Amino acid sequence: MFELLETLIQRPNFVVFVILFLWGIYIMSAHPNLVKKLIGLYIVQTSVIFFLVAFSAKDGATVPIILAESGLVDPMLYANPLPHALTVTAIVVQIATLGVSLALVSAIYRKFGSLDEDEILEQLK
Amino acid sequence: MSSNLPVLLFLVPFVMGVSMPLLTAKRRSWCANLTLGAFGVMLLLSIANLRVVLAEGPVEYAFGGWTAPIGIAWLNDSIAAMVVLVMSFVAVITQVYGRVDTAKDLEKSIPYYTLILIMVSGLVGIIFAADLFNVFVFLEVVALTGYALVGAAGGKSLVYAFRYLLLGSFGASLYLLGLGHLYVATGTLNMADLAVRLPELMTSTAVAGGLIYIFLGLSIKMALIPLHSWLPDAYANAPSSVTPLLASTVTKVSLVAWIRIEYSLIAQGVEVSHVPVLVLLEELGVIAALVGGALALIQTNLKRMFAYGGISHIGLILIGVSLGNTTGFAGGMFYLINDAVMQASLFMIAGALIYYHGVHTLEDLRGVGRQSPWLTSALVVAAVAMVGLPPTGGFFGKWNIILGALEAQHYLAAFAVLASTLLTLAYFLKIFSCWFHQPQPATSEPLVVSNALRISLGAISFSMIALGLMSDTIFQFLIESITNGGV
Repeated sequence: MFELLETLIQRPNFVVFVILFLWGIYIMSAHPNLVKKLIGLYIVQTSVIFFLVAFSAKDGATVPIILAESGLVDPMLYANPLPHALTVTAIVVQIATLGVSLALVSAIYRKFGSLDEDEILEQLK
Repeated sequence: MSSNLPVLLFLVPFVMGVSMPLLTAKRRSWCANLTLGAFGVMLLLSIANLRVVLAEGPVEYAFGGWTAPIGIAWLNDSIAAMVVLVMSFVAVITQVYGRVDTAKDLEKSIPYYTLILIMVSGLVGIIFAADLFNVFVFLEVVALTGYALVGAAGGKSLVYAFRYLLLGSFGASLYLLGLGHLYVATGTLNMADLAVRLPELMTSTAVAGGLIYIFLGLSIKMALIPLHSWLPDAYANAPSSVTPLLASTVTKVSLVAWIRIEYSLIAQGVEVSHVPVLVLLEELGVIAALVGGALALIQTNLKRMFAYGGISHIGLILIGVSLGNTTGFAGGMFYLINDAVMQASLFMIAGALIYYHGVHTLEDLRGVGRQSPWLTSALVVAAVAMVGLPPTGGFFGKWNIILGALEAQHYLAAFAVLASTLLTLAYFLKIFSCWFHQPQPATSEPLVVSNALRISLGAISFSMIALGLMSDTIFQFLIESITNGGV
């Protein structure tokens, strides 16, 4: 038990990721309001991006650009650029998803006059 | 030229999709023709591509000349080439069918055709991609266009499209999370590279967790029971003109992505507390095949029934590819190709029934058989293929899956294939008993259907039989490509 706590305290980034991820799932499944469901989904997606950023973070590292005067690069000094490239692409995908989902939600609101899932399902019957 | 075929296959629908608003701003009636033309070009290119691959073996395409570990690679092997060929064929046929059935407000809508074209280009991307992150991006391209297409019917379908979006995006997040885990453990995202580095890391919980997240994410996308709940409602309410394309490609291509990952990353002997992972996957397939078939049997709405039939077939394919021997794997892949064609055919028939007869449920079907000879013969061929009788392709797929199961001595899997065949037979009997029910006296006039419908139904029914007749050759290619190590 104590060891578990110790490992958790040593990795605050990942604890934050787990909390955000589960919180997002909870909001997605518990709230009947469609916009709140979207917010839950957004938190889940953001938590995954947070995870990608968290594992690629490095103390005191700089950008991976070859400087003219120093020649060869010491990999220890540089942050790995690939997770950041993944993150940027994932953010773009997330924004596109958000756009499509908001368009769908507004169309649902125009059609059913409500954002409450229970009321909409009532109308569908 | 010939080495650039995979990229051309991607670019043709993509460029056409993006330039659609420019080309058709003044002439809305061109939309459908241009889309059909783009898919026709794709079909020709994919035939050429299959010939090149069969003659020269698998080719790795390196973008910008940067080879695998640094750059992004696409793998053009015979399985990818075959799946792309079948997909372009289905795209052409469904587009011909779309001439009959596209709703009035979508018929001349530029966004609708742009979405279809971009979805198909995304599907090509998933099939060729040999890089986990590339697969993620294309999965999302397909998913986003899919949500919009499902919602395009308006009304009820909006709610189901939204539900599909929530589940699908959650699945994509899980996939991204798993991909992150694998990257942390291995430092690479290229599948060939991962296949080299992973086996010694299989005891690591990060790798196991990553693979589980990837599998969960993709099983939402491929509608594997119990994560299928978005599919029946979405497909039953989507516009009839686009459901055949959605049903026959989206879930199947997600499954292709998983099969690539499964085959290159999960080596044969991987075990979790003494149970081989492949056996676990196979059991999931068994559950999906049986539960999907049973759920199809209790449906009254035709489209929902066919949708559940598709879900049970995803299970069958998963059984085949998880048996761990060549026979089962080739059977599963062959069945996947067949299933794409069968699903397209079934949803085209269901759409045409709604369009010509206003039939939504089994009850409405009574007596339709006498009026529509074209629909009747197409449905008979589709039913024969779905149940799996020779000479259709469905038989040879199922036969090889069963042979593979017996070879691996997994009798439960063999039983599940047989039982799901019986369930399929049962729900088709239900359909036919209504179909040939004595008609009301006044309505025995044979119905005139349009030529586009005749062409599309004829071509798709013919292709189901042709796949069966050519099964020997196709199996030979599949087995060769497996024994050559590439999937």
